[in-house]
Amino acid sequence: MTVQTPAPAAATPPAAPPAVGTWTLTWHGVRTVAALELRQRVRSSRWKVALLVWFAVVAAITLLAGGVLLFVDEGSRDTQSRGVVLGAVVTVLVLGLGLLVTPTLTSTAVNGDRGAGTLATLQVTLLSPVEIALGKLLAAWASACAFLVVSLPFYVIALLMGGVPVWTLPRVLLLTALLLAAVCGIGLGWSARAARPAGSTVLTFVTVAALTVFSPVFFGLTFPFLSSTQEVQVYGVPDEYWASLDDEDLASSTPPAPTCEVFTAQRTVAHTEGTWWLLAINPFVIVADGALPGTSVGSGSVVDEVRSSTQGVRDLRLGEPDVRDECGDWGGDGAPLPRDHAGPVWPYGLAANLLLGGLGFVTAVRRLRIPQRTLPRGTRVA
Amino acid sequence: MPGETPPTPAPSVGIEVSGLRRAFGAVKALDGVDLVARAGAVTALVGPNGSGKTTLLLVLAGLLVPDAGHVRVAGHDPVTQSAAARARTGWMPDAFGTWDSLTAREVLTTFAAAYRVDRAVAGARVDELLATVHLDEYADQPAAVLSRGQKQRLGLARALVHDPQVLLLDEPASGLDPRSRVDLRLLLRRLADEGRTVLVSSHVLSELDEMADDAVFLSRGRTVVGRPGGDAATGLRTWHVRALDLGALTTWLESADVPWRPDERALGAAPGGTVTGGVLVDVAGETAAAALLRDAVTAGVPVVSSAPAGSALEQAYLALEEERR
Repeated sequence: MTVQTPAPAAATPPAAPPAVGTWTLTWHGVRTVAALELRQRVRSSRWKVALLVWFAVVAAITLLAGGVLLFVDEGSRDTQSRGVVLGAVVTVLVLGLGLLVTPTLTSTAVNGDRGAGTLATLQVTLLSPVEIALGKLLAAWASACAFLVVSLPFYVIALLMGGVPVWTLPRVLLLTALLLAAVCGIGLGWSARAARPAGSTVLTFVTVAALTVFSPVFFGLTFPFLSSTQEVQVYGVPDEYWASLDDEDLASSTPPAPTCEVFTAQRTVAHTEGTWWLLAINPFVIVADGALPGTSVGSGSVVDEVRSSTQGVRDLRLGEPDVRDECGDWGGDGAPLPRDHAGPVWPYGLAANLLLGGLGFVTAVRRLRIPQRTLPRGTRVA
Repeated sequence: MPGETPPTPAPSVGIEVSGLRRAFGAVKALDGVDLVARAGAVTALVGPNGSGKTTLLLVLAGLLVPDAGHVRVAGHDPVTQSAAARARTGWMPDAFGTWDSLTAREVLTTFAAAYRVDRAVAGARVDELLATVHLDEYADQPAAVLSRGQKQRLGLARALVHDPQVLLLDEPASGLDPRSRVDLRLLLRRLADEGRTVLVSSHVLSELDEMADDAVFLSRGRTVVGRPGGDAATGLRTWHVRALDLGALTTWLESADVPWRPDERALGAAPGGTVTGGVLVDVAGETAAAALLRDAVTAGVPVVSSAPAGSALEQAYLALEEERR
């Protein structure tokens, strides 16, 4: 038996091996890692099953929820309103399911590979830590976006039914994709930080839950403590108007129209200037606010309702206005006060989410550096 | 291979380590390791479980920062010149995973890319390596279907994909069938003859004994002894001498003033009531062993066999074994 020779002993390696530092970044390196990760993931039949199940779940829930909402809401029987309801349901559903699925794509990327014994062999190659981390992040993000692509038909159906501005679709998709990228980064960071895959998965889910569920809960719980009764400037119908009404006026269906004035009165004031961000970092708020910019025009449509609720979050950022506008509440007769427009909150929320994702990514890069000085408790290098 | 001449060995030695220390918390995994692995030679790394072999290889592979000591791999410091050292080092860990969904060829191609091997030569190189480790018929099968030994061979091919000058192999023979072990021995021998530095840790001491030029013993994180090259002719070694009549053998040994130890494992009864059996004799080299045998036969002792008792490495290893932890 003969043993064949590998390449004629060119025992002299490249004269100058490439300088590889922690932050050395080449597309070649990133692509190598991403291709490795994607091949490993896409080939497994679980992946195809997951996409199919996703499609079925989104289809079922979208159609059922859309149907139920239409049944409950008498006002939305026309096609346009249905389109808007369907669009809202798909958006919320895909974002929600995406936030549920995406953490698993990266939350074991580093410690899982370490456990499987495949990480160290990759680290000793000439790939830099940032290439390994970015390759893993890109592969996970591409997988998350695959779920988004599978959901695309439902977005398109909603769009075709009308009622939703066309430019809403790319905005929703882009915002959702960016939020899922942030979640990928968070998972990557925890997977590099925690020694065990189970731990990092839990931590990633807790982080996502903190952004989506805990933050509005905290906002609600802190709200009473931030509220106090104060003297504020009110633009509205003054008390004298109510006093001037006699029984005859009250009995008649057309009392004299009130005139709005600015006066001072006792009102409950909530100082939400310090807590508004608890709502702004919520991915659902970010998508709602970012997808439908502009302010409510009071048309009563579903699009307008979404706008007016995000407008509420925007106003929370500024806290109490200088002059509270109560004129419209009573059908008062008077020019509406110019509102101090708070501006959209989604850039803040998106930035906060991406910052967390970036923090996770940087953590992963730093933890992938070799040679290692310290090892996580209870782990081996290889 | 026709027309191929081994390249002249690099002027610098392959691996130089002195005063290497590394602790994990209170556990001193490496507590003063000194070793030199020559280019063009196979160096065996021998030691009981927990003696620090894997930790030493991790430091050499550039994965762990040592607490103290001087390390040079192919002339480069794995800590300060990490990339340069890694480019010249092929490391095969003792426990490693495979990417189950990837084929053997894809695994090697990926690692060729990771080592920035020129794409133009990577394809041919991967084919050659697959043939070298006899995995060509499994080249396009997912790694999940490979047996443990086949995965081990794939791991070896992966460590060779960038044509490294220094090879660090942690238990490469575990899980291999006898034929693959012979292949591995021949391959490592040839890689060393090509001028590379090969450092192998293994528990299969008889295998190591046949292919290793040098040996380094680790015990409790310290290098204990280094076996100088080519001491088989002169080094003190234990031989097992077996005779049909144990009494005659021991009587002769005592009269010839040769110290011996009884070997209980070799006792037996022969027809005629005499006890057959063997003894262990420490002999300095093969010439002395031949002389001992000739004298015994001349003296009329019915000697059946005379052979080294286990391999030299095994004997040295067993001396360390009481320190096993």
